Amino acid sequence: MSRHATAFLVPALLFGLWWASASEGWLPQQLLPAPMAVWDALADTAASGDLWADLLISLQRVGEGFALGALAGLVFGGAIGLSRTLRTLLNPLFLLLAQIPPLAWIPLVILAVGIDEAMKVTVIAWASFVPVVLGVAQGIRDVPARLRELGRALTFGPWDLVSRIVFPAAVPAIFTGLREGLANAWQTLVAAELFASSEGLGYLISLGRQLFQLDLVLAMVVVLGIVGLAVNGALALVERRLLRWQTIAP
Amino acid sequence: MKTPLRFALLGFVLGTALATVPALADPLTIRIGYPGVGADNRPFASGDIVAVAHAGHYVEDEFAQDPDIKIEWTFFRGAGPALNESLAAGHLDFAAGLGDLPSIVGRANGLKTRFILTDKVRDTIYLAVRPNSGIKRVEDLADHRLSEFKGTNLQLAADKILAAHGLSERNARFINLDTGSALAALTAGQIDGTFGSIELLGLRDRGIVELPYNTKAEAVNFGRHSAFFVTEAFDQAHPALVQRVVDAFVKAARFGADEANRSAVFDLWAKAGYPPQAFAEDFENERLANRLSPLIDAYVIARYRDQAAHVRQYGLIRNDIDVDGWFEPKYLDAALKAQNLENFWPKYDAEGHKVTIGAVEQTQSAAR
Amino acid sequence: MSEIAVVMAARSVWRPVLMSLVAPALLIVLWQAIVATHLVAPYILPSPATVLARFQNELDGGTFWGDVAASLSRALGGFALGAPAGLAFGLLLGLSRLAGRLFGPIFLAYRQIALFAWVPLLSLWFGGGEAGKLAFIAISAFAPATVNTWRAAATIPAPYRELSRALIFGRLDHLRLIALPSALPGILTGLRSALIHAWLATVGAELFLDIAPGLGGRLNEGRDKFEVDLMIVALTALAVLGLGFSQLAAAAERRSIRWSRR
Repeated sequence: MSRHATAFLVPALLFGLWWASASEGWLPQQLLPAPMAVWDALADTAASGDLWADLLISLQRVGEGFALGALAGLVFGGAIGLSRTLRTLLNPLFLLLAQIPPLAWIPLVILAVGIDEAMKVTVIAWASFVPVVLGVAQGIRDVPARLRELGRALTFGPWDLVSRIVFPAAVPAIFTGLREGLANAWQTLVAAELFASSEGLGYLISLGRQLFQLDLVLAMVVVLGIVGLAVNGALALVERRLLRWQTIAP
Repeated sequence: MKTPLRFALLGFVLGTALATVPALADPLTIRIGYPGVGADNRPFASGDIVAVAHAGHYVEDEFAQDPDIKIEWTFFRGAGPALNESLAAGHLDFAAGLGDLPSIVGRANGLKTRFILTDKVRDTIYLAVRPNSGIKRVEDLADHRLSEFKGTNLQLAADKILAAHGLSERNARFINLDTGSALAALTAGQIDGTFGSIELLGLRDRGIVELPYNTKAEAVNFGRHSAFFVTEAFDQAHPALVQRVVDAFVKAARFGADEANRSAVFDLWAKAGYPPQAFAEDFENERLANRLSPLIDAYVIARYRDQAAHVRQYGLIRNDIDVDGWFEPKYLDAALKAQNLENFWPKYDAEGHKVTIGAVEQTQSAAR
Repeated sequence: MSEIAVVMAARSVWRPVLMSLVAPALLIVLWQAIVATHLVAPYILPSPATVLARFQNELDGGTFWGDVAASLSRALGGFALGAPAGLAFGLLLGLSRLAGRLFGPIFLAYRQIALFAWVPLLSLWFGGGEAGKLAFIAISAFAPATVNTWRAAATIPAPYRELSRALIFGRLDHLRLIALPSALPGILTGLRSALIHAWLATVGAELFLDIAPGLGGRLNEGRDKFEVDLMIVALTALAVLGLGFSQLAAAAERRSIRWSRR
């Protein structure tokens, strides 16, 4: 059987079980709503426009927060990666703060900036910041000594050294950091929207919880899965394109 | 080296399997849940019959001579919705003081309960706004940021108030916040207003909010209602225990509705962390029995039918529910009879007009 | 000569330690300055002295240690539920090509869904009490354990596999003598990652589900009561414990690998 076909075998089986459970009533409807109910919930939110509006807002928040955090992370990570002094000064504090899950900062951030967009963007930015910093620092550390020596032998100035040797060699690790940062950002977005929101995918999920509408919650879980796949897929594509010219360091 | 590793892995797996086996309990625990917490999240209720029963230990006293029976109270910060989750997971036997919206939502989604007592009717809702928000009437709420605790009977009451003044959830931005978070957000100026009850009076006294509107002067059907439910499972397994629990609550209701006990009741409620003066103000010119009546009369039945229709209309549930088959007054009737209270509370008809006089209306509070 | 060496050695040890304290010290100074000049509302930022006093308070009396214990036991309990399941699943996926092709795709699809999206579902299924919290922590530990174990089990080096074939090992022997030892480093990495994820999920569970003893609950409490000093105490505890967790887990992994190489 072709590879793609086997991929769908188990999901199809599970879906069949789900369908049977709903029509035969194996599990009560409040534990497992029927597939049609979930579909209806999805269709309702799509038709009323709520789904698209909330999806857009969630994507916007992630976009802003990630852009902010990743940029700051590239700068900070570069700084502590390249300068031993800065690293010794700042790294311990950074590592300590990084131990705290981004979610735990939310109550404090709410007191400081309120419950609106600023809170979400701040927390998402921090959640993106940490992995990017770690990725950049790792990438710079990973640059083979030989390449650095080569740079020095060619009498590269510091700027050339960084832009033509260090940075390109560090790209894979940087990209891993960016990838993790985006994943973190997305996770934190959902958590932040569950906390205090009036719109967004997380808001829809928490509304479903408050109103005991399991079908709405499941519908949103499906949407999140699809969005997650799309975002990851896009990022993987970009990564492949970017690294195509990279030769594996011997 | 391989063998110790294998045993370690095996032990690991076995240990976790054992850890998930629930402890077998011999004494029976009666698990009662209340949808709310007091000030600072303390596990106390206020403002209704259940609060009197809990703070006055009526249920514990009823079962004091039964060493095999334990009473366990759980107070849910997440209010009705969180209590519903616990009910659905089989962690509760009684839902005490569950509000109309969450109980209707639960029933619409297949939660199997019996409505055996009313806990509170006709309570007052206040609108709290920040002092310089310029909101003087309900109509002014358009385009402001408000909090609404979704899924609680406060949401339903708020929606009805808005609808009566020509607004809906789409005119203002509603942020889903629980009570504690809403108060914090109000204090920090992050939202413009919220609906609520006596917890707002303290904020007003501290100058943090103004209370431009309340439902005292409005038609009776703007208030909230809450009731007392038993799960069908527990009802079928232990009907005798259900009766005794109802007896205890009716005793508490008898105490709480009697005007002679007015200040004692306020003191009991003060255990939730609010000053007795707040309750005095909330009940100003209102008899305790106006809200604290356990009866399931035509008024209560009509109100719940009405709320169910509203809930359906607002799209909060997707299918109609059978309200009539929900009520089970036999325990209440037996308790009233046994305690000679059959004519203690007035009965009301569906429109809210008094049909029979109740003895409680003769009671007088000590100081006036 | 040796004196110079001693001085230089001391310098090289002390210098980084002292330097790493500079940033936190500057931060505290800045903090005190902000408080002293009333730059922000007093309820947003209490003075360092207040926070210190709160620390003292909590560590001596109060429920602090109970909260730490509650959070830790939840984390470990959820880990104990989720990690072995992930380990078993990962082994299945890695050792059996068929299982990998059948169950792999849906597992990868499952991983796309943000972890916190499961909170409402789990609380609707298990309630918001301990069961719901443990369920959430368990599923947060499940995926990292699976992924690492899967990768490790699927990439047994060719020489080992050939050895197994040459010695005509049966399924069980192959598993016991070749597959597990070879996959062990990856498995341990998975367990370490699962432990860290479980700890992170514990805070989330406590923040979103019913009130109970725990550090997440104290965070909520601090926010409701506007007690930022309490929140800072809770956050610091989280940071220290988090650090402890990752160091402990890393050390355990290092030791197990060394032990497994003997």
